[in-house]
Amino acid sequence: MAKTALYDIADKNLQGALASFLQSLLADDNISAVMVPMRQSGNDTVMQTLVTDPEQLSAADPFSPAFPMNAARLVSRLTKRSPGETVATVLRPCEIRAHIELVKLKQGQVDDIIIIGIDCPGTLQNNDFRKLAGKDPESTTDRFLTAALDGKTQFDEAVELPPACKICTHPVPEGADIGIGIFGMDIKKQFLLSAGTEKGEGLLDRLGLNVQEPPDGREEAVGSIVSAREASQGEVFAAVHEKTDTPEKLAEYLSGCINCYNCRVACPVCYCRECVFVTDVFDHDPFQYLRWAKRRGKIRMPTDTVFYHLTRMAHMTTACVGCGQCSNACPNDIPLAELFSMTASHTQNAFDYEAGRSLEEDPPLAVFREDEFAEVVEIKH
Amino acid sequence: MKPKIGRALVVGGGISGIRAALDLAETGYPVTLVDRAPHLGGVLSQLDNQFPTNHCGMCRMLPLVDRDAGAQYCLRKGLFHENIDIRTSTQVVGIEGEAGNFTVRLKRQPGFVDPVACIGCGRCADACSVSVADDFNAGLSMRKAIYLPVPHMLPNTYVIDPAACTRCGECINVCPTGAIRLYREGRQDFSVLVVDDEYTVRDSIKEWLEEEGFSVETVGSGEEALDLIKQQSFRMMLLDIKMPGIDGVEVLKKAKDLFPDMTVVMMTAYATVETAVEAMKTGAMDYLMKPFDPEDLAGKVIGVYEAEEAARAEEIEAGAVVFCGGSEGYDPSTGKNTFGYKVFSDVVTGLEFERLISGTGPGGGGALLRPSNGEPVKKIAWIQCVGSRDLQTDSDYCSGVCCMYAIKEAMLAKEHGPEDLESTIFYMDMRTVGKAFQRFRDAAETDQGVRFVRGRVHTVYQDTHTGKLVVSYPGEKSRRIEEDYDMVVLSTGQKPSSGTDKLAEAAGIELNPWGFVRGEPFLPAKTSREGIFCGGSFSGPKDIAESVISACSASLLASATMHSAGKGIAVAGDDTPEYIDVSHQAPKVRVILCECGGSLPEGIDLRRLAAGLEADPFVESVSFVSRICTEEGWESLAEKVKTKGYNRLLVGACTPYAYTRRIRELGGEVMLDPSLMDVCDIRSPEFAYGEETGGDAIEKAMRRSLSTGISRLRSVDPLPKQTVPVTRSALVVGGGIAGMTAALAIAEHGYDVHLVEASEHPGGNLGWLHSTVEGNDTAILLEDTTQRIEKHPLVHVHTNTTVVSAFGEVGNFFTTIETADSGPQTIQHGVVLIATGGREAETRSYGYGTSDAIVTQKELEEKVAAKAIDYSAIESVCMIQCVDSREEPRNYCSRVCCPSTLKHILQMKQQNPDISVYILYRDMMSPGFAESWYTEARKAGAVFIPYTTYAKPVVSQGEEGGSKVVISTREPLLDADVQIHADLLVLATGIVPNLPEELAGAFGAECDEDGFFREAESKWRPVDSLKEGVFGCGIALGPGSIEGSVATAGAAAQRALRILSKNAISPAAVTARVRHSLCVTCERCIAVCPYGARSIDPDTNRVLVNAVMCQGCGNCASECPNSASVLDGFFDGRMLDMIDMVME
Repeated sequence: MAKTALYDIADKNLQGALASFLQSLLADDNISAVMVPMRQSGNDTVMQTLVTDPEQLSAADPFSPAFPMNAARLVSRLTKRSPGETVATVLRPCEIRAHIELVKLKQGQVDDIIIIGIDCPGTLQNNDFRKLAGKDPESTTDRFLTAALDGKTQFDEAVELPPACKICTHPVPEGADIGIGIFGMDIKKQFLLSAGTEKGEGLLDRLGLNVQEPPDGREEAVGSIVSAREASQGEVFAAVHEKTDTPEKLAEYLSGCINCYNCRVACPVCYCRECVFVTDVFDHDPFQYLRWAKRRGKIRMPTDTVFYHLTRMAHMTTACVGCGQCSNACPNDIPLAELFSMTASHTQNAFDYEAGRSLEEDPPLAVFREDEFAEVVEIKH
Repeated sequence: MKPKIGRALVVGGGISGIRAALDLAETGYPVTLVDRAPHLGGVLSQLDNQFPTNHCGMCRMLPLVDRDAGAQYCLRKGLFHENIDIRTSTQVVGIEGEAGNFTVRLKRQPGFVDPVACIGCGRCADACSVSVADDFNAGLSMRKAIYLPVPHMLPNTYVIDPAACTRCGECINVCPTGAIRLYREGRQDFSVLVVDDEYTVRDSIKEWLEEEGFSVETVGSGEEALDLIKQQSFRMMLLDIKMPGIDGVEVLKKAKDLFPDMTVVMMTAYATVETAVEAMKTGAMDYLMKPFDPEDLAGKVIGVYEAEEAARAEEIEAGAVVFCGGSEGYDPSTGKNTFGYKVFSDVVTGLEFERLISGTGPGGGGALLRPSNGEPVKKIAWIQCVGSRDLQTDSDYCSGVCCMYAIKEAMLAKEHGPEDLESTIFYMDMRTVGKAFQRFRDAAETDQGVRFVRGRVHTVYQDTHTGKLVVSYPGEKSRRIEEDYDMVVLSTGQKPSSGTDKLAEAAGIELNPWGFVRGEPFLPAKTSREGIFCGGSFSGPKDIAESVISACSASLLASATMHSAGKGIAVAGDDTPEYIDVSHQAPKVRVILCECGGSLPEGIDLRRLAAGLEADPFVESVSFVSRICTEEGWESLAEKVKTKGYNRLLVGACTPYAYTRRIRELGGEVMLDPSLMDVCDIRSPEFAYGEETGGDAIEKAMRRSLSTGISRLRSVDPLPKQTVPVTRSALVVGGGIAGMTAALAIAEHGYDVHLVEASEHPGGNLGWLHSTVEGNDTAILLEDTTQRIEKHPLVHVHTNTTVVSAFGEVGNFFTTIETADSGPQTIQHGVVLIATGGREAETRSYGYGTSDAIVTQKELEEKVAAKAIDYSAIESVCMIQCVDSREEPRNYCSRVCCPSTLKHILQMKQQNPDISVYILYRDMMSPGFAESWYTEARKAGAVFIPYTTYAKPVVSQGEEGGSKVVISTREPLLDADVQIHADLLVLATGIVPNLPEELAGAFGAECDEDGFFREAESKWRPVDSLKEGVFGCGIALGPGSIEGSVATAGAAAQRALRILSKNAISPAAVTARVRHSLCVTCERCIAVCPYGARSIDPDTNRVLVNAVMCQGCGNCASECPNSASVLDGFFDGRMLDMIDMVME
């Protein structure tokens, strides 16, 4: 059983308690900086911020439903080569899992960071966050948490959790050094700190927190969130499958795509320096377009759209953590997250692999087993 | 001027011949490879699956360095290398001269099908009305008289079986390219004289023969005949015996006196047959009985004509000759015990079984069915040692391969038969003598449920009611046991190849008592004639790995011979052609199409096709040549490429493989890089679509093929490649016999060798071994080799020295060695050979250490040498085989212990025949000719008692104060426990390797689970590591005899010379590289590279590719998501274009 502690919240002020917890991290000799989502001054934006001055942490807002990007890409920037000092990073579960995939792809490491994971009740797409925050930016997080922890997915007439969050079955930060737990807790009084690694346990010890068991209701609370999400996942996958089960239907599903490649820029595990679709490989000769058009009588412009999505799917589906940033980034509201999550669940099951589960598991396409998929290759053993 | 360089002749195109030819070709020698069969591949063209992978894998023998010199095609389909000249249907009839300067006479079987003109369409076979048993399927299916000798061969050239062909000429009528010439040409010059007193006879013969194209004269009497032959020359005379005046026999005598070379065939009625037989003694070739059938007569004359044509031999010069004539399978129907073979159709040989389950086999589908009734086989048995280890069939030797192929076949049977198939192997000893063999056998037994029964089957008969085969064999206490089977496979052994004796006579080399070529002691690849060598099973039964090793070793000796005759590789200059740099030009493809002499099917308009292609902006022009396969055609093509204006060339013709070499030559002439030139197949669409779909479909397919070719060429990246320089010296680690032999071989080719030995003296295990079971003296070998090592100026021996560290890659390694007195130094070298050897394993089993009477084999050997054994004082000796070996954790056969035991038995029996010798064994391992010593030992009275790992012998101390030890074991024939009171107990503990993992790792090689050097592939690349430039030899590779160590040393040296013979290695056209601006260094490409050709440079943080080690497999390119890793020649854009064209 992992080591856990309860962190008291003074004056029912969760934000204040979180800030003081993060300040105590900065006070630790081993930690040079904290990276955490923070309200940016002058507007209602919340963005990851690398902080070294403890005073600044009062604007920290880790439970804000704002999710402008998956922070795994930022952690990768901090750790691709060793920074020489340790940074505590506050991350959502899908950000942690994406980072683990990036580590396996040599795009970062975990040695120089302490991962502070948070229980994630969900996020909002950029537009929805602005709608919700618009009226009263100061109280956005509290309003969101109160509703979300009550099991609600709808926050306003036009604001609800995006499908990616509704079907996410990983609300608790697996793989974090220390997790901040709010499910099944009275967040007016206490939040839970649980150490998931030896590194986390050491830190808990150094912080001088009393080791305490989590309250009774926590496990049950987490269980009920997960089972509700599993149920919606089933429904969503069935619907997406129905809409995409022939090449024609798939093309229709993706017909709004303008080849802007925003989804691939937003995707935390699309780690290529430059996508193959913007390289010379797809730099067709002008006469080629005409040739295609002549052959079939017409050709959709831009070309290579379905090909692009299928290629991206082939490349990252075993690493997809279902964070939903692809949908968030799409200017034409193509429901990409559902499609990619569905495919990922199939491919990851096929290889008995789960993206972000463990650093010990090699990415399936880097492993060759002669005896696997005999039914596909038709080799009898 | 190009310096002169020796040509090598390789005789036999089976696996060993191909290996030897490729070795010599890769080292830079021109090679002539001949085979008497109409195809290459030997027996392996019929075998689809090889132990231990149960796949093929022959392609692993393809050149790894300078890959572009050969075509990268399946070797079972064909061999293409620019240095190898292949002559099929050709035999050696004589070798004159001496080592370095041989003149070899070659005789080619007349070919009726022009291999250049034949496009392999198969219409001739459809038209042929003759049907005969197909040798390729071991006679299990039928073929036509014109046929493909191997259905999967490339180029797919048909041949005619002259014995079966009726010369009906139907094939000539349907051949679209006029490739078949059945007769006529040359026959006018063959004049025949017909002598008969009956006008009708001589006149009708004249008519028949003239129809066949011969020149015929007729005369009516002996006198006239004798007059005429003095005036006019005749090649043949058909001579009636009974004539008025001088009779036929008289004419024959006089004619033979005058013209001994003239062929005479007598014609006779029944009454004078005896006279005809007499006449043959006088010199007639044959006789014909009257009245005769025109076809018989014509056939006879044609036969004589063809034999004479064939006898006109061609002469070639060769510096050295390597014979790889192979062996043949034993035919059980010729034996005293046929086991029902050829009586019951469900009794088949091992080869027939392989054909039955082959996709190209008689059934076609590969399912395991009973030949008798087509029903599935549910129960199947293998009978071992049919035609091996059998004095009744003159084979007092072990064929060495049958045990493993039977196990493999039993496993394959499970794949091709029903799930619950029962398979049983009846054997005497399962000879699992190789490194991985015992584990393979164990897996067959435990994982696949193959049943192993020790016992010699004496009878196979058929139950007439059930139709099943009944196998009868002696069980425990010699009780007869009978079992029913659906199919019985006879594991037939290897026999000398037919004609081995004639070939040996023609070549002037000696044979051994078993009819195989005799090798020199300790050097089986060397024949009795200087400059002539022998690889593969021509010198005795061998498996694939042994064949490959012996072929490599033979090619090394051939190379050394030519080198010392001044025709070596060191004198060959660097003649890399220079090409024009076209990298900054827009692609312009010149297309030249072959019109195939106007034989294209109707409805195809090449001009229309050309107009369509010319619309492509990358096509410069399209033009035509009537027939590229003719000399005039090629010249016309060469003329068309001389004018400038293009930078890519595409030729549309047939059989692209055939043009590899010529295209490269043409590239040299016009200074265009051959990778910018291509031949694409526009003929086979015709076969795919056939006549019924008509010209449109065919023309469309031709256009598709050409457009694909244009796309392919358009996107070739013409950037020149970086070459990798080679440090032309070698490091050999380990100074045993293997290391010394390899070092000498390399030094004798003119390259520096550093030989590093950890102990004080080189010599290794030869330091304590004194003789072999064959009676050869190892001391002489040791002394001779050490002296040559010491004298050779290019061998630098470092004793008391170890390797401290190493880095680098093929061509340039840097190794730091440390010598006890003089400290460390760093050596730069191009290749490394690991020959660290092995030693006798230590044991604590069977009471070792508790009594002076219990010794290991090595201790016995030392005592014998020191004459410390009083044979008269010994009553009884016991020897236990397989001590701690052939079971986990040391689950491999050490190979040398059984022959050593036989040697010790015979030594003791010679000293004192009264000594009782008992050998407790699991399987006696005396493969090859060592079997005869096993026979000798039994004749000498040694008692062999088998035991199993479940009931091992138990050793206890004898009586108090006595010196004897007591060994208790179960005697299975008596089915009783026995006790042996022995004065001496000898334990065969086997071999363990001396190869530290760090040493192998320092050079990028690996150790296997038992600590031996891990070879790249146990059969096809048995001395290479996966890391190019690192080789293993001797016992470091695996347990083996002295001969084995010498052979692997030669093979490793040969593999090393491929690299050392070059100043710099040019990477092949198809090589991977990294586009750094796109690379994000995820290193997945490094993980998936099977050749270790990729690494990350820590300074620049870039992925590096060693272009020489890269084999162009494309794993990296398919793993890389954004094509930062690309395979030249298979760039994504190009592939997409090509797919696009195919889909058009």
